[in-house]
Formats: sequence, C-alpha cells, structure tokens
Amino acid sequence: MKKIITIILASGLLLGAAGCEKLIQIEETDALLGATALKTVSNVEAAVIGAYGGFRVDMEYLLNSTFSDEVRTAGEFYNAATTHEWLYASQDVGLRDNYTAIAPQYSVINRANIILANVATADSTVVGDNTKRARLRGEALFLRAYAHFELFRYYCANYNPDALAMPYMEISTLVTSPRIKQGPYFQKLIADITEAKGLVPASVADINRANVAAVNALHARVALYMRDWATAEANATAYINLIPLADRAAFPGIWTDANTLEVGFILRRTTATATLVGGRLGSLYDATSASSTQIGVITWQPTDELYNSYDRVNDVRFASYIKDEPRLIAAGRTGRIVNKYAGGDFGTPTENINHAKVFRTAEMVLIRAEARAEQNKFTGANSAESDINLLRTNRITGYTPVTFASKDAAIDAVMMERFKELPFEGHRFFDLKRRNLPVTRLATDAPNVPAQTLAAGNYRFLLPIPQPEILANPLIEQNPGY
Amino acid sequence: MRMRKLTVMLLVCLMAIGQVWAQERTVAGKVTDDKGDAVAGASVTVKGTKAGTATDAEGRFAITVPANGRILIISSVGFATQELAISGTTMNVSLKVDEKSLTEVVVTGYTKEKKSTFAGAASNISGKVIENVPVGAFDQAMQGRAAGVQVQSGSGQPGSSANVTIRGISSIAGAFAQPLYVIDGVPMPAFDMSSINPNDFESLTILKDANSAGLYGSRGSQGVIVITTKKGKKGATAFSFKTQFGFTEPPTPTNFELMNTQEMFAYEERLGLMGQGMTGPGWVYSKRNPAYNVHIPAQFPSLAAQQARYDFLRDSLGQINSNWGDILFRNGFSQNYELNLQGGSDNTRFFVSMGYFDQEGTDLRSRLRRYTGRFNLDHTVGKLSIGWNTLMGYNITDLNEGEWLGNSPRNPFQMFFRAKTYENPYRPDGSIIFGASTPVALRQIGNLMEGLYNSQWITNQMKINSGITLAYKILPTLTLRNVTGIDVAFNRQTRGVRANSFVGSLQTLQNGYQADASQTVSNLVNTTSLVYNKKFREVHDVEVGGYFEGIRGYTQAFGSTLWNLNRNIDYTGQQAGAQPGTIPQSSSARSGYGIRSMFATAKYTFKDKYTINGNIRRDGTSRIVSDENNQINTWSVGVIWNAMKEGFMQNQNFLTDLRVRGSYGSVPNINSIPGGSYSSGGQGGFNLYGVPNYHAAQIQGFSANTAFVNNSPITGLSPNSPPNDLLRMEYVEKYNIGVDFAFWQQSRARFTVDLYSNLTRDLFVNQPLWSTSGFYQSSLQLNAGTMSNKGIEVTMAVDILRSKNSLLTLGLNHAYNVNNIESLGGVPEFQAGTFLLREGIPYGSHYNTRYLGADAATGAPKFATLDGGITNDPGKAGLFADFGTFLPKHVGGFNLDYTYKRFAFSALFSYQFDVVRSNNVWSWITRGTPGFQNAVNASRVLLTEQWEKPGDNKFYQHPGIDRGFTSSDLMDAKFLRFRNLNISYNIPALNIAGMKVIKSAKFYTQMHNIAIWSPWRGQDPEDNNNISLNEFPNPRMIVFGLDINF
Repeated sequence: MKKIITIILASGLLLGAAGCEKLIQIEETDALLGATALKTVSNVEAAVIGAYGGFRVDMEYLLNSTFSDEVRTAGEFYNAATTHEWLYASQDVGLRDNYTAIAPQYSVINRANIILANVATADSTVVGDNTKRARLRGEALFLRAYAHFELFRYYCANYNPDALAMPYMEISTLVTSPRIKQGPYFQKLIADITEAKGLVPASVADINRANVAAVNALHARVALYMRDWATAEANATAYINLIPLADRAAFPGIWTDANTLEVGFILRRTTATATLVGGRLGSLYDATSASSTQIGVITWQPTDELYNSYDRVNDVRFASYIKDEPRLIAAGRTGRIVNKYAGGDFGTPTENINHAKVFRTAEMVLIRAEARAEQNKFTGANSAESDINLLRTNRITGYTPVTFASKDAAIDAVMMERFKELPFEGHRFFDLKRRNLPVTRLATDAPNVPAQTLAAGNYRFLLPIPQPEILANPLIEQNPGY
Repeated sequence: MRMRKLTVMLLVCLMAIGQVWAQERTVAGKVTDDKGDAVAGASVTVKGTKAGTATDAEGRFAITVPANGRILIISSVGFATQELAISGTTMNVSLKVDEKSLTEVVVTGYTKEKKSTFAGAASNISGKVIENVPVGAFDQAMQGRAAGVQVQSGSGQPGSSANVTIRGISSIAGAFAQPLYVIDGVPMPAFDMSSINPNDFESLTILKDANSAGLYGSRGSQGVIVITTKKGKKGATAFSFKTQFGFTEPPTPTNFELMNTQEMFAYEERLGLMGQGMTGPGWVYSKRNPAYNVHIPAQFPSLAAQQARYDFLRDSLGQINSNWGDILFRNGFSQNYELNLQGGSDNTRFFVSMGYFDQEGTDLRSRLRRYTGRFNLDHTVGKLSIGWNTLMGYNITDLNEGEWLGNSPRNPFQMFFRAKTYENPYRPDGSIIFGASTPVALRQIGNLMEGLYNSQWITNQMKINSGITLAYKILPTLTLRNVTGIDVAFNRQTRGVRANSFVGSLQTLQNGYQADASQTVSNLVNTTSLVYNKKFREVHDVEVGGYFEGIRGYTQAFGSTLWNLNRNIDYTGQQAGAQPGTIPQSSSARSGYGIRSMFATAKYTFKDKYTINGNIRRDGTSRIVSDENNQINTWSVGVIWNAMKEGFMQNQNFLTDLRVRGSYGSVPNINSIPGGSYSSGGQGGFNLYGVPNYHAAQIQGFSANTAFVNNSPITGLSPNSPPNDLLRMEYVEKYNIGVDFAFWQQSRARFTVDLYSNLTRDLFVNQPLWSTSGFYQSSLQLNAGTMSNKGIEVTMAVDILRSKNSLLTLGLNHAYNVNNIESLGGVPEFQAGTFLLREGIPYGSHYNTRYLGADAATGAPKFATLDGGITNDPGKAGLFADFGTFLPKHVGGFNLDYTYKRFAFSALFSYQFDVVRSNNVWSWITRGTPGFQNAVNASRVLLTEQWEKPGDNKFYQHPGIDRGFTSSDLMDAKFLRFRNLNISYNIPALNIAGMKVIKSAKFYTQMHNIAIWSPWRGQDPEDNNNISLNEFPNPRMIVFGLDINF
C-alpha cells in the first residue's frame, strides 16, 4: 500500500516536472503573429506590397514647393505661414501636421526590416519562390535605402562624413537609437543600394515595383547629394540607357497619365486607390471641386518667377505644368493654377488624380549634366552642354542648342533647368539647400518682405526633429538652431 | 534525499540527548476531539522538559517522559491547549474545540497556521456572516466586513459580481484585476460567482500582504481570497433544510428630483420664450408661442380649430404624469431552498449540499436561477489522507436586452431619468402604444416596453470546481502532499429580438436578430509539496516546505449572429433568410497559458515567542514571450513577536493578547501584462465572448494592407502595432507592520492595526513611441513607472455586554489608502477615460474643466483658466486634475451583534468617503440646453438655478450655450449604507413521542441595502467605475428564512 502510494505520488511529481517546460512555452495558436504571419515566401511578398503601401511622395512635393520659390499663396486660403515663411520651431503645428517625415519613413524602414529578417528563412511553397526571395530582398533594401535617404534630405546638413545623419535602422527594434555620423550612414545606404541593384529585376517592364532602373535612379540621386559625381553620372547614364527621354509630342501624355514614358518607378493613383494612397496629388495645390462650376479653393499657385521662366509658346512644359484657367478668371478668381497633377476636369471623380512619377529620365539627364559639369565636362560631346541640349530639344519647339563657356555657366543652366523641368516633383528646396543657395522670392511672390529670402545655410534648411520624438527618445539630438 | 538525511541526523541528535536522562518512562495514548475523532499532528510535550512528539494520523502518540516530567501539554491548531498531570503509562486525551481558535488559525490555502506565529496580514470572514445573505454573488456580501477590502457593486442584476480591490489599485494596465480566489486549494476565476452557493462556506481568509499572498506568486499581487468549505463531522448523519423567500425592491434615489409634467411644460415654455428651438408640447402647444396664433391651413380648417386642438392636447398631455420607476421596475420575488447532509465515521467524513436559488431583480427581465451541489469527502487510511471537494453549479441568468444596448432609449436604466413624464405607454386596455416617436407624441417608453417583451438575453453557466488532495505522512514530521484541481466554466449566451415585432422591424434586414455564443474556460492546477515540521527541544519549532506547481488555463469560444429571422419561430437562427450586405457573422478562437512554479517556505519559531519566516517562489509563464523575462521571483520575509509569552508580561493583567508583526517582500503581478483579445461570438458589434490573446502586445501582429495596389494582384500585409518583446511583469514591493492586541477580561476588546506601504515597480505606462520603432507616436506599454499605495487598516471588536444569556459586540473596520503615481519614468502624462495619469497625483484623478457658474451679464458659462483667470470660452478653459479620484480613500464598515438567549440581532453598516465620481446622468439632466431638453427630462434645479436674464446670479448657464461636461458633474459619492440587518430566533429541539424530530431550527429575517445616506444625486452612489450612466442600481432586499436541523 505504502509503496503504491509512494509510486503514485513520485510519478505525479515526475510527470509534473516533465510537463513543466511546456507550461512556459505555450504559443498563441490563433493569431497572425510574428513568424507565423511571414511563414512563406508568398507571405513575405505580401509584406513587400504592404511596405510599398507606406511609400509616399506627397510630403516631399508639398515641402519642396511651399518652402521654396515654386509656389505662392493664391490668396484664397493661407494657413501655412509658419512653414511657407520659415517661422517653424520643433513644436510647430504646421510641420507636425504636414511634414513629420520621421513617421512615414521609419514606418517603411521598419516594414522593410521585418521583410529582411524573414525573407531568407520563409518556406518555399510555389515553384520559383527561391528566385523570388532575391527580388523581395532587393525590394526591401531599395525601400530601406530610399526612406533613409529621404530622412537625410529633411533633417541633415549637406553631405559631410562627420556631420550628423539620422539613426540608420537595419533591424526592427524598440530599442531607441541615436543619430549617427553621415559617413557610416551613407556607407550603409550605398551598401543597401548596391546589393539591391543585383537583386531586383533587370527588366524595366514592371515599373510598379522596384526594378534596376529605380535603384540606379536612387543611386544617382544619392551620389548627387554626396557630390560623388562619377557615380552620379554612371548611374544616371545607366537609367537613361534603359529608359530614354520622351519627345515633345509624347511629353504631355506623361502628365495626363496617357503614358508612363521616362518613369522608372510609379505610384499609381486611381479613383479606387486615391483615398488609400495618400490622396490626390493635385489636391496638394488645389482643393477638389464640388462641381465644374464650384471650383475648389486654389491653395497654391505657381510663382511669377516660375511662370515667367518659360517660353510659354514653344516650351511644351508650360502647358503641362501651369494653366491660366478661364473659368476661374471668369469667376473673378485668380486663374493661375498648378496643372501638373490636375487629372480630370473640375468636379469629376478623377479631378486631381495623377500618378506619382518617383523617378523620371529628365531628372537623370539633369543629374548627369550637373555631375559632368562638376567634373569639368561642361562642353562638347557627353557633357553638361550635350545633356542640357538633349533635354531642351525634347521640350522646346525650335530650340537652338547652347554652348557653355564655363563650368559655372553650365551649373547655373542646370539649376535653372531643374527649376523648370522638375517643379512640384519634390526637388527645389532640397536643391537649393544642396547647392548652398538661398531661397529667393520675387516681391510679387512673397506674402511679405521677410518671406522673400531664406539666406543660404540658414538653420531652417534642416527641419527640426519633432518635439514628441525628442521627448520619447532621449538619445536623439536636435538640429542646431532649434 | 537531502531532506531525509537531515531528518535522520536530527532524529539521531535528539535521541542522543534523550540518552542523558535517567529513570525515564514512556507514556502512550490517543488524542481525540470532543466527538472522538482522532486529532493528527497534535503536539505532545512534557512541561518543563525538552521532551516532545506529535500524534500520528490515528491520533496516537508515545512519548518518553524524563524523570522530572510531571505534566503533559497537548496542543493542536483549532483546539484549546490542555495540561494534564502524568498518571500511568496510557493517557487518552480529548481536546475541546477552541471557539476562539477558529479565528486563531490562518488558512493560506497552501498551509494552515497558528495566528500567534503568522507574520502576514490577513482578514478572516466567518462563513456565518455571509450565510443566507440574499445576494447571487457572494463577494457582494463581503462589503464592510474586512478592513482594506473594498467591495464595489457595479450592478443590481442578480448574480452580478462586485469589484473587489484590496489595498488600492496597484497597476494602470491591470487596474481592475481582481484578487485570486481559491476554493479548497483550487483557484477559481473572479466573476464566476453566480453558480456558487456561499452557504457552503466555512470561512473566507483574505491575504493582503507579501508574506501571506506571496505564496501564490505572481497571481497573488492583488491579494488572495481563500475559501474553505464545510467539512463533514464524525457521527450520525445529520440533515438540515433551509428555505428563504422574500423580495427585491428598487432603491430610492438620493437628492434626485426630476421635473413633473407641469414643471417640464413651464420650463419648455421658458426656453421657447428665450428663443430656443423647443420641440416638446410645453412649447409647441403653448399659448405664449407666437406660432399659436399662426394658422396652418394644411392641418386645420381654421385658426380656432387649431387652437382648440392645441389647448386640448396641452391639457390632456399635461395631465399625464407617468412614474417611470413604477412602470420600468418591479418588486422581484426571491426564494432559496437548500438541503445539507453531513456525517462520517472514524476514517471517512462527508458533507453534501444541494441548493436552488431563484431571485428576480428589480428590472422586469432580470432574474437569476441557480442550482448548486457540493460534495466534500475526507478519508483517512493509515498515513494517507484523501480529500475530495467538488462544487457543481448551473445558473440561468435573464437580463434585459435593452440594458446591453447601453446608451439607448431601449435601456430602462437610461429611460428612468430620460423619458418625459407626459408619455403614456399603455392604452386603457393595457396594450402597449408603440411605433414612430415624435416629440409631441412620444412612444419611447412604449417602444421600450414592446422591445422588452420581444427580446431576450440569457446567459447560462455550468460550473465545476473540483480538487483532490492526497497527503501522505512519510514520517510523523514529513508530509508529502499533492493537490490536483480543475475549475471549468461552460458559458452560453443567447441574445435576440423576435422577427415578428416592432423592435424586430428596426433591426438590420428588418426581421429581428439572433446571437448565440458559447465559451469554455478551464484551469488546471497541480501542486506537489513536501513539508517537514518538527519541534526541537520543545522551544525550536521548525517548518520547511518545498513545492512544485503547474497551472494550465484554456479559453475557447465561438458564436454567430444572424439577421432576417423567420417570423413564425422565435429566438432561433433556424430558417433565417438571406443575409445580404452583412459581414461574416460567426467566429471562433482559442488560447491558453501556463504557469510553472517552484517555491519553498521556511519558518522558525522560538518558544512560541519569536517567529521568523521566509518564502521564495519562482514563476515561469508562457504569457511572457521573452526567454529572459518569462521567469520572475516572488519572495518575502516575516517576523512576529508574540509578547504574551514573555516573562514580563505574566506580571500584568491588562493585556490578554499582544502580537507585533512585520513583513516585507516583492510580488509580481501577472494580471498587469498587456495583451489583446480575439473576437469571437459573431462580429459586427455582437462580440459576446472574448478570448484573450496573451501575446498580442509582445509579438509583431500583422493585418491586411490594401493601400498599395499599383496593379498588384497581391493584398499587402503590414505590421499593425508595435510589439514589446522586452516587456516584463510589474512587481509590487510590499511592507506591512501590524499589531494585534486584546484586553479587558478575557479579550473582550480586540484590536488589529496594520500599516502598509506597497510600491509597484516596472509599472506599465503608455509611452508614446519614437520614430525608429516604425510606430511614431503610437502608444507602447512600457515598464517605466512606479506607483505607491500606503495605508492603515484598523479592525476592532468589543464585547460591550457579556453575560450568560447575552452578548453584545460592536465591530468596526476601517481602511485608509492613499494612492500616488510616484513616477511615469520620463513618459509624459496621459489621459485614460475621464482621468489623468500624472506624477504626484493618485490613480483615477478626474481631469476636467473647472466650471464657475453663469456669467451674470450674459449667462455664458465661466471656466477657470490655468493661469487663474476666468474665460467664457470652453476651448480656453483650463483642465484641472484636482477634483479627487473615483477610488475612495476611506472604506469600512461597522456591525452590532446582539444575542439574547435564543434571539440574535445583527446589523451591518458599510461606508466609503473621499470619493468623487462623474455623474453623467446629472450632466444630462442639468445641461439646460434645447438639445438636451428636447431629448431628456431635466432636474428641478434648472427651474431655479439657471440663468434667465442679465443680472441673474445663477449656476447653470444660458440655455443657448452648452457648457459641456465639466466639474459641475463631478460629485461626491461618499455613502453610509445600512447594508444588512439579520434578526433570528433559534427554535429549540422538537420531540414527539420521545423521538427527536428536530434537533434545532432557526427562523430569521434578513434585510439588505435597507437605507443609504449620501450627497450623491441619483439611484446609487456605489459603482465599480468612474462614471455613472445607465447603471442598474443595487436593490433593497427583504427575505424571511427558516433553517431546520434534523
């Protein structure tokens, strides 16, 4: 009896001890959590699509227009004085509501990092999964590099290996990170780009997702900001070789979304997705209209400086970018509007709906022109001069080629051409900052005298780290001046 | 193995000492209780010597008495100690149950300890005081009974559990986590009380500090309520029969005067004349309304006819003055029947009870029917004892489907104050008037009544709580024990609206709905322990225990909702029509968790004077994902000084008891771990049962992301919330210092005072996230803060009168607790509900604008600004956090018990003060704006206290300006409640023809929630949350009962 009881109790004890390890390792069986969610390569591909879902350019577009000399208030609605007139500090509501770049960019980075952590180990379930892994990894690296580069453009001083960059996130973590130096930051960025280049599709047939042209374009843009002219030239050339410039006849079709010429990577906006993907690009400048007769508020209109820079008769860009709307003028309103993303007519469902062209051949030609000029290749074949003439020939009817007498003349021409070719595409303010130039507005374009000039090198060329981030992350360092 | 060696060594030492003595003899015998049952483990010592032993399972002992030994001392927990002169070699001793000793024992669930050596802080509630209290959930009966145990009832629904808070809120994330309930060693989820019969309880012990509750590890952080049920006693089988019947009544609101119809008409007219858009008949049919003189040709042939009609309507509506309390509520019938059997032999004892409890609530559809059974069996064979305690319960709870809707005109607890008294819901033949409702022809109550009778909401619970204990005495000093227990609740819920009804036509797809769900919650526990207990040399009492415990919990649920029901069959989804346009209406989920624990206890007592104990427990749990953080320690140390055993105390005769206790320890809080839940039981707002997702906050979760289409056929997947894989359990450092003392004759005045300080560390606070997490500004539960609860608890009982025939005892318990958020760990302050979490203020501090009354000139509301100014702009009003908290600082109760011969009288009062709640009802009925006035009845205070014209110095503002929800709606919720009155008469034995027909009987009446005194304006100041709206108030109850023992 005694024995039996002892055996029962002892075996109970043993069973308990054996089963005990399990008790602290019970998984959630019903939730799409962690590795369960990204179990297969197909799941990881869905996560890549999810990461593109965080990709936006709207913020860059609006910032580069309104902080620079591209647009002015149309006098119909103006509540952006703190940003338009460079009056912001780290707690500015205008910055907080419209230009908190750390939020979307690190969100995309986090998604990319989750993909990168899972893509190698996810199960293959479909034929071709193993080759797909490489592409998915390449796309994630591209997204991570792109987002980090955007953060640099917002918050960092011009490229200098010893200057402060932002935290470069290579894993998904809740551990707070400090800002690092631009030297290592760009090493990581270039490493991501270089690896991505070998992984994404070499064909540019699909511009809906990252391909080699998109990675080349990013590389060219990054090299431009790093003043690594040879690299910028090489990558821009690689892009141009894959996707040539559109001619004058086809050019307007880019902006009516009739074609996708020049575009290496696109963010499609349609009526179905307009509300989902950051909204209607055209609405950055004009509110949507209730009907064709009740035209929405014109928030921003092109400046005189921009308007007058075009040969309005012969330059095909003018009509694509800017419009003097007769119906507005008839209604006694200011008629000049940004036409680039106008989409369908006022009051129609497609009003203000236009695809975002993330990379375009014209930008690559201008990057190459600048890089060549900086390498003193300002005239002759394969020079800044040839690039500028190539672009203008494809834009201006009856264009007479120019010759540049000096490097400086070439660079001035490139900057002017960037102003005219790439307005509202997210470049101007960062270009001025990059070239250490001031923002200068004509008296007719500025809301007041102090808002006519932002001196070169002013601390407000770097956006402040938002105050909630300063509070939340004690390791982060604020930019000087704030 | 090591233990065994130690034991042997100690025994050898002891025997060696024994050898020194000469001329010794051996005395053997048996120790029994007053019924002749063996008393095992009783201590037998020889006075003035070091000789001592303990009785075996049969109560037998044999002791070697030294030559100088004269007197034998026999003691055992629960019995009066006896001293007997040694005579002969066989001594059989019968111990008397020490009545006082019932409270002298502390049952911790794992151990049973003498109070004189128990260093922790615990309160005991005798089963007698909650017996026959006519509440469906026994926790309600604990209110006012134990110091530091705050019992707040949230609903008067029969069977609804209270919210129990022991020594304050110690967590933000787990703010309302309940104490751990343990019945006979088997844990039971809180809120599962409606299937349990508290009349089976022998006692409840509430463990409050680290030294007592810490035995339970991370589950004991909120305190532990240990329930011991009745056991059988040896002897002839005894029957007892109990019956009870009575009534539940709606309570009388305090300071709550709503306008009657005439007042409402006058008020509506007044607002109308002030240019407010009034839609009620008081203005629409008013002679002073300019529209009265404007003919509406489309409706009336002439102005005269129109005016005559208006006059008629105004006069006839004006004569309707419905009393909603009478129409919406009732006096419910309550009954209870119970049969107990108990008895046993030398080896086997049993207790069996069966009960039926049926209580109608004051709401017309509320009712609890409960069937309970209990079977307790104890069997001893040799060194082995077996105990099997089983509870089985089943309940059917009817609720009001309208109450589930919450903020709805179908909720009687809203319409009670909201409905206009000029609606008459009944035709002369008693049928209900329902249909489309307009301000001048209200059908709101009619629709409520029609809905009430054409809907149902029923929950069922089948409850099993069962545990088997095996204990084997390897040696007299060494016990191996195993407890295996299971607690299962099978819950079913059905809610629906008949298709063939007006309310059914208002549902999605116009034909009623039917929602059904079921849930199974089960918990298994297995505890194995080895406890060594020995007294050395009569003065060194040592107890060492090692424990291993495994706990496994499971939850499963599923459910579905259907619309478009068949009109000919009620409350079923069968033959339901198509469900176009509705999202999938069924779902299911399951999850589970485990806890693995190892713990050890040690206790040493010197001469019954000084005791020191310590315990340490290591809990590992699956609820924490991180391997680094999934194991956590609980530990405590305690000391107690039993001063009465000191020599110098023998010379005084004032104090009869004096013990000083101290304890310190750290107890983690498993209930603080943030998590999520699965939806189950049908979607679309019909989530009847939740299933916890324990890892939701720790592992990255994903959701479908359709934002990026870009011609891709693939639906995106993206992370949806920040995972905190670094999350740890909060833990509470608990200090306690206590003193127990008694004086006046044989302890006629008894006091216990405890001082405590609890500091929660690693407190979860809502940290707004930094950008690199990928979730900028999302909130993360971060282990960053600290929170303190400091307080004092006083318990006293004084036998004011004590004579042969009568005993009058006054009891009092009071607790004062101060909560403070010590630190948010650098996290900015944040809001939760109506309150603010800020460093330096208590949890639950209301955060609102400070309303200063109406501006005399304009009637605009005046608010204080943060810089000390006054503004009329609500947008510029400062937000203040100094209005107090919704958690009372002071809670307590007092009772007066009087027995005189066969009569017994017992009264209990409970109270709370220093508490402020948001009175949302008051906010609605005093808003004084047309928006509210057109939809809600109003308080009479608006008639006299609202601004009408320039120069008025009034509190309530101009009707054209809404002041919003302000400090004017934060209200003192202190109360003194006459909680319970019990008057009983014991009927003597009844003998018929020499046959004892009835051994004894008791006739009694119990009244519950008899009266309340409170400045609160409303039906019931007591609630379990911060805001008052649509509350089911606690009813008043009166029952009569008869207990007969055969």
